[in-house]
Amino acid sequence: MSMVNRKKSLTILSVVKNYPVIIIFFGLIILFSILYHQRFLSPANLTATLRQFITLMLFSVGPTFVMLLGSMDQSFIGIWMLGSAFLWLLTPIIGPVALLVFPLFGLVSGLCIGAIHVKLRIPSFILTLSVLIIYWGLTAIISKGNPRNVPGYSFLTDDIIPFVPTPLLYSIPIILLSVFIVKRTKLGTYFYAIGSNEEGARLAGINVEKYKIVAFALSGLFSGIGSIVLFQHLGGTVPVSFSMNNVVRPLIAIILGGTPLSGGRGGPQRTILGALTFSVIYRGLYLSTLGAEVIDLIVGLILIISIVISSKGGELRGVEVA
Amino acid sequence: MTERTLTPILDVRNVCKSFGKVYALEDVSLKIFPSEIVGVVGENGAGKTTLMKSLVGIHVPEKGEWYDKGVKAAFPKDPKDAAKKGISIVYQERGVVPSLQVYQFLFLGNEEKYVGAFGLQIPRMKKAAQEIIDEFHIKCDIEDFMFELPLSTQKMVEIARAVVNIRLEQNKQDADSVIILDEPTAPLNIEERHELLNEIVRLKANCSFVFVTHIMQEVMEYMDRVIVLRDGRQVGEYDMATNKVTENELVRMILGKDIDGQEKIQRIPSRVDNSETVLSSKELSKRGSYYNISFDLSKGECLGVLGSAGSGKSELIETIAGINGYDEGDLLIRGKSTKNHELPYARLKKGVGYFSGEIANELFYDWPITKNISILNIEKIVTKIFHFLNFKTEKTLAADISKQLRIKTPNVNITVSSLSGGNKQKVTVGKWLEKKPDILLLEDPTIGIDVGAREDIYETILNMKEQGISMILVSDDPKEYSALCDRVLMMQQGKAQKIISKEELKEVLQT
Repeated sequence: MSMVNRKKSLTILSVVKNYPVIIIFFGLIILFSILYHQRFLSPANLTATLRQFITLMLFSVGPTFVMLLGSMDQSFIGIWMLGSAFLWLLTPIIGPVALLVFPLFGLVSGLCIGAIHVKLRIPSFILTLSVLIIYWGLTAIISKGNPRNVPGYSFLTDDIIPFVPTPLLYSIPIILLSVFIVKRTKLGTYFYAIGSNEEGARLAGINVEKYKIVAFALSGLFSGIGSIVLFQHLGGTVPVSFSMNNVVRPLIAIILGGTPLSGGRGGPQRTILGALTFSVIYRGLYLSTLGAEVIDLIVGLILIISIVISSKGGELRGVEVA
Repeated sequence: MTERTLTPILDVRNVCKSFGKVYALEDVSLKIFPSEIVGVVGENGAGKTTLMKSLVGIHVPEKGEWYDKGVKAAFPKDPKDAAKKGISIVYQERGVVPSLQVYQFLFLGNEEKYVGAFGLQIPRMKKAAQEIIDEFHIKCDIEDFMFELPLSTQKMVEIARAVVNIRLEQNKQDADSVIILDEPTAPLNIEERHELLNEIVRLKANCSFVFVTHIMQEVMEYMDRVIVLRDGRQVGEYDMATNKVTENELVRMILGKDIDGQEKIQRIPSRVDNSETVLSSKELSKRGSYYNISFDLSKGECLGVLGSAGSGKSELIETIAGINGYDEGDLLIRGKSTKNHELPYARLKKGVGYFSGEIANELFYDWPITKNISILNIEKIVTKIFHFLNFKTEKTLAADISKQLRIKTPNVNITVSSLSGGNKQKVTVGKWLEKKPDILLLEDPTIGIDVGAREDIYETILNMKEQGISMILVSDDPKEYSALCDRVLMMQQGKAQKIISKEELKEVLQT
């Protein structure tokens, strides 16, 4: 019996060692519960935290694939925005089937970005940033700058279980699928290989260029699938304003979770933790008396700190591979 | 101990250093006299690196005495302190800053000695640098960029920099210095190696050297003394001038046992099937690298491509591997033409694998052994549909390979970065052993590993050959050709001279 216990405590220790962000996560929960007792652990706030988490998570799953390779995909917000504009155009013509425009558009977008990145050798950071701006421009052109409401999709977010945001239920299979891909398939192993040692991967007979395109395609596809949920979750309209926060926060979630900018380590399973932690931080700041500008400032600092932590992660050798 | 009238520059006695419960060094003593080269040899993990790091203050030993001209002193605290005591180290790799000019690199980290009222005094630095370049007879201009220099010249500049460091630290022009060289010749080819070693011998007038190496020939030809370490203990010391020690005795001392490997290797039969040609090169040319190369490779044959650096041998094997392309000619795999500049993955599909001893390119350092082996054999561990991974098969596969290759590891889930150099190399060979390509291209397959592990790897390669795998070998070690090849293609300045048999090769190597 004691043996079993010891074994169990050992695994808990190794989990904490592998995922240092867990300590931060629980530390913050305790801190905020003390700071704002009653309010932080109230059902309303917990639901709000979950909502925050879902948004963040659905936006970060896709880019995590690309980050694993040591590249960067910032186009995910663009897929949601331009996809919404397409949906507004298509719904009157083909009805609810139009929802499929999100994943299809994401897939095509990812394939194109991947192909351009690989064939023309444009750094992914600047390429996807340009694409993001292009998509935002197109969205504004199509919607002529008006918040176009697309009715008929409220069923997506209708409550099924009280206090549990329905989008959470949709996002679970998406997250599980992404984790499964990196952990248990050949594809995932190749992603880790390319991110960890690109030249080595090439010499081991991996078609590096092809798998890079696949990663961008997957990123687009997952962002597209997530956008179906996000679209209704964030109001059911074509977005009229472009917020840098939507781009930056998912990147924080990914890096804070433990997928470094250089790739080769981490994965969506870690991004879950990063997104949870960031949601808690954000709600904690939101409940405080700080103004929105100060919160933005703090969020920027958190991004820097999380990059420092993730670069330290390699030294700890607490690295698990697919 | 040899009797010397001179006082030693470096004198350490009974050095002990442990990591946890394991002794990395146990009672090791070392004396370095002026104007000598002392070789330090031993297998990977014998304690060579720990000893060197203790001398320059990176490790602090638990026990041991440091004598400075017969007076007891403390061990250095850090590399700067070591330089004050006259010791400096030149690392095996990554010591050079390629984007700096020679004079900038020479004083890197010591710029404060050349700061005037208006910033760096460039003319003074250049003048001092020129004096040093002249003193060391380095063939370069002080305004050359480091990356423009040949590797052996880069090493020379590094050595000069180490001496400069000591002089500036002690503020003396004639400071007694000991320069530690950690496998300085490992990245060099044969010609560069001899050039560097001859230069070092000439530099004995200026300083003494501690020379860590795996290459016995260097010890035999260039060292004044040699110290053998095994399992953290000093097991032998030979004065090369008075004590006639043979290379075999030295190897036996390093391993602590007789090398039976040589005989074992020779007993493995070669089964060349001349009726089956697996790869042929027809008038293959790549401008600036090699011209009109033609040969046929039979099933189960190992063809060596022998030549000096710049002979085009590396470019040729890389073309076959798909790393780079060719300009003219044709490359046939199993009688079928290939597309020019196919990538390695496409060549691998046709059965051509490329194995290089450059483990940085072959290994995924923070991955376990299992993953490093399965990355190349992933089709063996995935389900037919959807390519799901089966971790159980993966583990059995890795355990099997570890056993076959005698990889020393408690289990196969250990990250390869924690393995010793020889075992790392075995993992890289292991993945190809499991893959069994039709043709395996070998480029420096045993670079930088010790004698014992080398024999093990030769054995594995020859066993693969016996099973009918064809091979092409390119190496900087001539002995590798006689150990592995059936035929050798001699290349010179990009042109094929002739193809000779194994017997003829022996004659060539003896002359």
